[in-house]
Amino acid sequence: MSLRLEASKITKRYGRRTVLDNVGLRVHAGEVLAIIGANGCGKSTLLRICAGLLSPDSGQVRVHGTLGFCPQEGGTAEFLTADEHFVLVGAGRGASRGRARSDGRAAAASLDWASADSAGISRQLSGGTRQKLNLVLAGLGEPDVLLLDEPYQGFDNGSYLDFWQQVWRWRSAGKAVVVVTHLLNELRRADTVLDLTPRSAR
Amino acid sequence: MKKTLTVAEMAIREIGRRRGVLILLALLPLAFYFSRRGEAYWQSVRFVCLGIGWTMSTAALFAGNAARGIEPRLRISGYATHQLYLGRLVALWAVGLALATPYFLLMRFDLDNLRYSAIALILALTVLVSAPFGLALSALLPRELEGMLVLLTVVAMQMMLNPDGTAAHLLPFWFSREIGEYAIVPEAGTAYVERGLAHAAVTLAIFLAVIAFAATVRLRRRPHMSIA
Repeated sequence: MSLRLEASKITKRYGRRTVLDNVGLRVHAGEVLAIIGANGCGKSTLLRICAGLLSPDSGQVRVHGTLGFCPQEGGTAEFLTADEHFVLVGAGRGASRGRARSDGRAAAASLDWASADSAGISRQLSGGTRQKLNLVLAGLGEPDVLLLDEPYQGFDNGSYLDFWQQVWRWRSAGKAVVVVTHLLNELRRADTVLDLTPRSAR
Repeated sequence: MKKTLTVAEMAIREIGRRRGVLILLALLPLAFYFSRRGEAYWQSVRFVCLGIGWTMSTAALFAGNAARGIEPRLRISGYATHQLYLGRLVALWAVGLALATPYFLLMRFDLDNLRYSAIALILALTVLVSAPFGLALSALLPRELEGMLVLLTVVAMQMMLNPDGTAAHLLPFWFSREIGEYAIVPEAGTAYVERGLAHAAVTLAIFLAVIAFAATVRLRRRPHMSIA
């Protein structure tokens, strides 16, 4: 399978504290990589560097294809409905309104959120539903690489299982998927695991 | 163009759903207007323009800050940086014109012996300048409280400073006083309009440059990224 995402020799410091020290990762098409580690070990930082939202102190990231990103929080507009989010993000990918809406609703339904078309504005959604919206937006337009930062926050158990099924559908469709997680019992669902916990703390 | 208009449409929808903000936007300039309507009606023209400038700048400040959360995602999703800030500007200008039109009609029928075309010009320029002013502030001061305090300071200075002094020329809505002079005083010549237009043009250019620069820096593709 072809290489989709490659990060090499990533180092990031916040002040005097080195969060990432010479970290690298490679993800191929049809592969799921899980990034794990203790709180504050740089999981989200690495993902944001891979998404191009944050600069490392050193290192390079190569992406072969298009990116989709699901942040841990934020990433939606408080006063827009789910359908309007689909249209807005879909337009960036070149999708028509109708196509963006139907793709978004279908993806929402696969996460056990069948009423996305009649959902109110984002600020009125529950935390879990807002994260579903976030996740749907990340996958809209069929990006080649998906970067998901603990996207299941607030999901109930059924939605959580639906989430992993969605990850596996993306995997089957040849997407490269990177999931930041702290749930170690789910590592069997990933093809590769990158543990960012410092050696001294393991 | 389609992407820019989509951003503009969604920004208008967002603003339209902030009903409390819309009511304040509509009524605050009215309070400015009537504060001087009885004793010095010529000042009410200037005050209503400042009121619209202030409310539109505030709306733009909040709109700019609200967009910060979603803009990185939109960049990743295929939007160019300029499409994001231009779309938001177009939306704010449209809202501003919708706000300013009733005030023009109010002054047209409530006040006599004015140059109404000059008043229309002041209102249009106020909308044109205030939206990028608020967005520029949100780019430089991402915390809303700081931005609001700067806006308050600017409007207060605009009201208190001697408009002939050099410091007043540096304020963003000084042009409204110049063109306002032409609108109110029958003997005033077109030189006031020319100075006002020049001031508005320079102010607008500065704010647009600040917005473009700040957005380009914040949403730039980082040098460590290589996307094939």
